[in-house]
Amino acid sequence: MSVDLQLKTLKEHSRKEIFLCVVRAPGGSRIFVGASDGNVYDVDPLAEKPDFQPLAGHASFVTGVAVAGDLLVSGSYDCKLLWRKLAGDEIVHSVENAHSRWIRKVVASPDGRLIATVGDDMVCRLWEAPSGKLLHELRGHDEQTPHHFPSMLYTCAFSADGQRLATADKTGRICLWDVSTGARIKQLEAPGFYTWDPRQRIHSIGGTRSLAFTPDGKSLLAGGIGAIGNIDHLDGPARVETFDLESGQSTHVFSGDAKGLVEQLVFHAEGKWLLGVGGDNGGFWQVYDLAEKKVVRSEKAPMHVHAAALSDDAMQLCAVGHGKVVVWQVENAAPGSN
Amino acid sequence: MTAHSSGVSRRSFLGAAAVGAGAVAADMTALDVLRSPLLASELKRGEKRVILLWLAGGASQLETFDPKPGRPTGGPYRAIPTAEPGIHVSELMPKFAQRIKHTAIIRSLDTKIADHGQAARLMHIGRRDEPSLRYPDLGAILARELGQADSRVPDYVNFYTATEGRGSGISQAGFLGARYNAMFLTEQNTPQNLHKLEEINDLDHVERAELRNLLTARFARGRESAPLASHNEAYARVRGLMASEKLFDISGEPQRIREMYGPTLFGEQALIARRLIEAGVPFVKVSRAWWDSHGQNFETHLELVTELDHVMSALVDDLQARGLLEHTLIVTLSEFGRTPVINASLGRDHFASAWSVSLTGCGIRGGTVYGASDEDGQTVKDGKVGAGEVFATIFQALGLDHQKHYEVGIRPVPLTDIGTKPIKEVLA
Repeated sequence: MSVDLQLKTLKEHSRKEIFLCVVRAPGGSRIFVGASDGNVYDVDPLAEKPDFQPLAGHASFVTGVAVAGDLLVSGSYDCKLLWRKLAGDEIVHSVENAHSRWIRKVVASPDGRLIATVGDDMVCRLWEAPSGKLLHELRGHDEQTPHHFPSMLYTCAFSADGQRLATADKTGRICLWDVSTGARIKQLEAPGFYTWDPRQRIHSIGGTRSLAFTPDGKSLLAGGIGAIGNIDHLDGPARVETFDLESGQSTHVFSGDAKGLVEQLVFHAEGKWLLGVGGDNGGFWQVYDLAEKKVVRSEKAPMHVHAAALSDDAMQLCAVGHGKVVVWQVENAAPGSN
Repeated sequence: MTAHSSGVSRRSFLGAAAVGAGAVAADMTALDVLRSPLLASELKRGEKRVILLWLAGGASQLETFDPKPGRPTGGPYRAIPTAEPGIHVSELMPKFAQRIKHTAIIRSLDTKIADHGQAARLMHIGRRDEPSLRYPDLGAILARELGQADSRVPDYVNFYTATEGRGSGISQAGFLGARYNAMFLTEQNTPQNLHKLEEINDLDHVERAELRNLLTARFARGRESAPLASHNEAYARVRGLMASEKLFDISGEPQRIREMYGPTLFGEQALIARRLIEAGVPFVKVSRAWWDSHGQNFETHLELVTELDHVMSALVDDLQARGLLEHTLIVTLSEFGRTPVINASLGRDHFASAWSVSLTGCGIRGGTVYGASDEDGQTVKDGKVGAGEVFATIFQALGLDHQKHYEVGIRPVPLTDIGTKPIKEVLA
């Protein structure tokens, strides 16, 4: 893989909400966006005057949305999971206290049969997508940090073949799970994502915020923020670390010019390129070259980007974040590259 | 300068301790004396104590005492009901919520200053600085007012271990004089430079003191002078402070009590604060830094408020179990609160226009809320108060007249600025 990308803004919509997660509806340009006001918004961001249709049901920040078949599943800091039909907004299933603490992420398996959720109760739960039946509880993350504070289970991701699942927490622990059995396969450690300040401010910041398997399933990438000097701010390097899954060893750390959290990693389905999005008080997007092990491009985004969703043809990237929804056209920056 | 303190004199207390508990160390390090109901009750009856939990950097009122769930400014945390019907606090404070009957929340501070240094000064001295006069801070005033002239334990102990904001959190005796400066602990939980030299054994140490006393008594025969008395008092205090070192050592506390406070530095220092209070130290400040959450406010407050909730609740329970809560005032103060507006880093910035403090225990009408901010927490809607009113309320809760004057030269200086009134609604 050796490619440089350019993102050209097609649409940019300003809103008062903070958008925390996004998923595309199958086909077309319709998206579902989780927001800080407790709504999921159903919107076509390519429309001339997009109509942000609120889907109510949550009582706090909506931090996870996933599409599985004809269902939309959403999770929130209110600890609740909601299943609703993509057509219309009928809630067909709900689980109160699906996690005993904040739900941080909701993802669907590639075949749409499973839903994985993670929360600050430090448990990953696997659900049968159509029925909402709980299949497995995956426990491998400590409830407290080494410094006796509550830890946080930020993120999870399925492998492309859907057989494995990775989960990652605040301290940089990453667990690898067998999806069919719920057994833990491997544990990786990425402490470079966790900053504990024992002297100046005596608390912590950071955490592993994003995960992505390489399409061939041989490596795992984790995103977040590196060591921070002044933990009052997200004043540390945007950090992406790669792990070889056979050896379990860290193989490289990408650390470019951008500062802040890498909130999401987006792979081209065939592995042609890898994008990272995130931010501090502002936002950024970055392109990583895994072969050359370097950040080939790092650009400012119009807002702190919390999440992004790629179109099926990999030609459009919809990014959501602090007060904005942006649609970018994905273009090769270097003519002749694949 | 005039100032008067009331209550049981330490000398009479120590005398009683000696009678009641046999060979009791005259420095009060032997906390076992407090197991005597008579002695404990004597301490409880007369003496008021204060533990200040200084939340340095600015704790968010929205994630603690004044939640705004469902509002654009409210953030992700829910409000939970407390044991007092109608009062809600952040879901990060479930233990505090169950103990609200001991606490008054003041939700209507408008202190104007949103700069760390100046705001911290304001909330330490209760009024604006004045170029011509160096005011004492709350701890120095209460050391003076609640302490005993012949005390052998410190009057004012200040823990500030983090380095951020320490310069603004330092104590200041001002015109009261260095006698009321804090014992300031920064590097560790036990005082430094209190050990006797290693080459001097215990017997030598005692004999040297006895020789000094003998020579001093001979020298003082037929002489009366303030410097001489001060010189001798200083020696007595140093010996007391040296012997009080054990108060800072929590290793002897039962495991159950240590677990109650938790394993964090803040928890350990709160436990030491309780030990100091119990031994007669009138004012202990435990500084918990650093709350300045410009980025990731909700993650930071998940850590820090969870800890605050645990430590405050442990203090309340422990003091109550020992019969000391009604004589001990626990105060939470910051330099300011945090902005209702959530910034792009999911942080909150400095905000002094509508924020909250709490008063627990001695002299306080528990289970009350005073004042209110508007629905988004942007302004004070009802009962606007400043630092002076909070200080006047603290003095009043401790049985001190906030209008009492010190004479500084020929200038009368009241404890709080003229016209300042205590918040009667939160006083017992």
